[in-house]
Amino acid sequence: MSTPKITLLLIHPAVTTTPELVEDFKNNAPKRNWKVVNQFLINKINDGSIKLKNNEYDIIHYMTPEARDSILFPKKLIPILNSALKDNGLLYGLSDTYKIDALINGFEIKNNDAAADLEAYHWVKKPDTGAKKTVAIPLKSNPTTAAASSGAKKLPSFKKASASSSSEVKKPLPTFKKPSSSTTTTTNTKKKCVCKVHHTAEDNDDDLDDDEESGNSDVFSDSNKAQFFDDLDDEESVEEEDLIEERDNNGNITMIICGKSQTKKKKACKDCSCGIKEEEEEEIDNIRSQQDNVVKFTEDELTEIDFTIDGKKIGGCGSCSLGDAFRCTGCPYLGLPAFKPGEAINLTSISDDL
Amino acid sequence: MSSQKKIAILFGSETGNAQDFATILSHKLQRLHFSHTLSSFSEYDPKDILSCKYLFLFCSTTGQGELPKNASDGKFWSFLKKKKLPANFLSHVNVTLFGLGDSSYPKFNYAIRKLHQRIVVQLGAKEVFDRLEADEQSMAGSNKGTGAGVESVYFEYEKRILQFLKEKFPNRKLKNGEVIERDEIDPEIYLAPYSYLTLADEEDDPNPAASDNSNIKFEGDKSMKYGKVIKNERITDPEHFQDVRQFIFKNNDESVNDIYYPGDTAAIYSYNTDLAVEQFLENQSHWLEVADKPLKFTNGIPSHLRDGGIVKPLTIRNLLKYHCDIMSIPRTSFFMKMWTFATDVTRMERGEEQLNDQRDKLKEFAYDEDMQELYDYCNRPRRSILEVLDDFLSVRLPWKYMLDYLPIIKPRYYSISSGPCNPQIELTVAIVKYRTILRKIRKGVCSDFIAHLNTNDQVRYKIISNNLIRKSYHGKPMILVSPGVGIAPLMSVVKANVSNDIHFFFGCRFKDKDYLYQDILEKWNSENKIMLHPVFSRDRENSPDTKYVQDVLWKLGQEMTDLIVKDNALMLLCGASGKMPVQVRLTVIEMLKKWGNFADDDAARKYLKEMERDDRYLQETW
Repeated sequence: MSTPKITLLLIHPAVTTTPELVEDFKNNAPKRNWKVVNQFLINKINDGSIKLKNNEYDIIHYMTPEARDSILFPKKLIPILNSALKDNGLLYGLSDTYKIDALINGFEIKNNDAAADLEAYHWVKKPDTGAKKTVAIPLKSNPTTAAASSGAKKLPSFKKASASSSSEVKKPLPTFKKPSSSTTTTTNTKKKCVCKVHHTAEDNDDDLDDDEESGNSDVFSDSNKAQFFDDLDDEESVEEEDLIEERDNNGNITMIICGKSQTKKKKACKDCSCGIKEEEEEEIDNIRSQQDNVVKFTEDELTEIDFTIDGKKIGGCGSCSLGDAFRCTGCPYLGLPAFKPGEAINLTSISDDL
Repeated sequence: MSSQKKIAILFGSETGNAQDFATILSHKLQRLHFSHTLSSFSEYDPKDILSCKYLFLFCSTTGQGELPKNASDGKFWSFLKKKKLPANFLSHVNVTLFGLGDSSYPKFNYAIRKLHQRIVVQLGAKEVFDRLEADEQSMAGSNKGTGAGVESVYFEYEKRILQFLKEKFPNRKLKNGEVIERDEIDPEIYLAPYSYLTLADEEDDPNPAASDNSNIKFEGDKSMKYGKVIKNERITDPEHFQDVRQFIFKNNDESVNDIYYPGDTAAIYSYNTDLAVEQFLENQSHWLEVADKPLKFTNGIPSHLRDGGIVKPLTIRNLLKYHCDIMSIPRTSFFMKMWTFATDVTRMERGEEQLNDQRDKLKEFAYDEDMQELYDYCNRPRRSILEVLDDFLSVRLPWKYMLDYLPIIKPRYYSISSGPCNPQIELTVAIVKYRTILRKIRKGVCSDFIAHLNTNDQVRYKIISNNLIRKSYHGKPMILVSPGVGIAPLMSVVKANVSNDIHFFFGCRFKDKDYLYQDILEKWNSENKIMLHPVFSRDRENSPDTKYVQDVLWKLGQEMTDLIVKDNALMLLCGASGKMPVQVRLTVIEMLKKWGNFADDDAARKYLKEMERDDRYLQETW
């Protein structure tokens, strides 16, 4: 049997209501010698929160409940899917509605005669001849280099560089987003055995010299308003339900336009069905099995870690013993407490298991 | 607590998010010498609004689009709702509003919209800028689908408030009347709270047995109730992954009759294990020698400690055990307050350099707007404060401010499953346990507390009334829908005998494993007290053609739609939030279209909206 074809399953959001379709597809995949390695919701690709790697897949299959001739698909994704496919890779699930887009983006259409089985209809990525290679032109002149180099000096797990690179960096970073240099200077003071304390109780309670109040021609003075505090016990109240107006009629809201990068790791919803939860589980399993490699519980009390085992010493980065906040991505000690190198530490707290 | 402050930050918070953002804003204002009140709505004295000129609001939404308890309780909100207040009652107030919501609930951000309608539209407060509404639902949070996370929405809010205040008040007045430029307090300096702890002198506490822990008491909250455990029994199969308890307790005082009705909840006040307290004290070993000494407050009991009463004898150990939530996941405000106590170089293997690294890292957790580092380090692995302190040994905390920087244990709410006013109060509690990358299994703080309670152990609790089912629906047909432990309030509905025509849709995974209260449900079914429709999502044998509650609803679509449309049936849906309530809702809309003579989607949706408005379609999810 040949190597299985690396397959990406893309899902229309409506499919999440019928998870059995996805199940069936996955169950049938081995029969076609397909191996589903990723499964994403199409809207995640569309909003850019998931980025596909180039030349990654042999097969992309788009699953949608829409009828073949009424599929609505974001055209801008077609070149992205093309890039994600390997040469001669196959794209299933779209229709001739997007024929033009298929052709201009370097696909060939197969099994499109009426007699052919719908299931067999697919596009093929034509190998790039190199004749009409497009050149990527950076949209911005290089504002990120400075940010990236200042980020490089940071501790291993800092991720600021990526965050600043995609936002529009025209001005310096906002003041509370600290560049690493500023914090090191503030903490360079030698003697901080004691922390200084400011007692807010000593602040002036009324330090707002608001002169604009004098121009306030409110017909109700405070004393007028104070009368409403008398005898309110049996007063009638407004109904809370009446405070909600019909749809979209509760005044304006301030819209925030997100300037941040989309590199944020996604968090699975409580009842995730798009695959993120499985990814998280897998990550946890991976990290735990790595821990098993470096942690040996002693026979008797399961309370000590033995760091003397050959090849299980602290890594060359020197950060392993410092705790998760300082460990590198992929560090085998992730998830374990900070420890003193070479010393067996009390792990009473971590020895219980499900 | 009464105060004449011109600036007030008020919050209504259910899970603590809104409160944490309010605390962050408060902290930033303090650093700019803006004297202000920080309080929940319910603790705010209505009269203080007369002297308030700048009101910064935070509010989440709970239940059926309602304000959280610590906003709707107390006098302030009920005062503002008085009809006789004139249209310019709040004309002297500049207000800003920030809503935290979850768009998987139909009544998304209703609480902040209600506040807006009343405070701005009806009572004439001036809105400094259009309110902000954040959405917990989308993975990174969002603001009307813009993809901006809850925290970015907050920081935008904070930015606008600080800008507004700084422009208006570039200077400040000292106590001696001198006016100087409004400078910001160095972030390295800790801001001590108004009232904190000191050792009590002998004359403060005439009782020499202050450190005697045999008689723990809680003072200052008369509404607190004390009960003892009658039964604490697992009701799922021992082989099943989830441990669900039938948990029954009753008031210690036989003469007291707790008043409650279907849909009401019990607030359970849990506390930390002695082991956790011991670990904390070992970590902050300089606390040990004073851990059992009697203490007092410099300026009275801080208001955030009032709910549930404060422990007596007042000692560090008792405060750690009964009040400080050291097993919780630390929030930004925790780091904002404590990072500057990372001062102890003696516990640093690598000396000064490591100390500075720890300080920098903690400060980053405190001030980084992205909050991603903090999220990856604390939230994702569900790391507790205790575990953070074990990783950051440079932190040497002063105990006298412990109630300022440590969060306070909040009660957890559980739906009552016993019949109305039954002195034996019964809860159905799922014991929360899960794995993360951290070696130690994560446990729900309160459910783990409950799991370890034995018969006759004491519980501190309150009964919270929710007025879930309107009287006018008594006697009408009812459609009750609950997957899993959502069954708790529905059991109470059936036991209340408020209807002779109950359709009970219960869903779980396996008939033989997590079919909660199977015996009594089937007995009721055979007695025609209910019509039972169980469904099992992973059990083809016992549930061949349906998996979820909404599948069964659809299967009985004609009958259920008739009950809803023709007989005015009440529909009550309980269980975990997420997709379930959304799908049930969609199913009901489809049912209305197919069997209810509603021409199109809009007509069906409108009808369902009306049902919701009339509390005839109730969703109690968490």
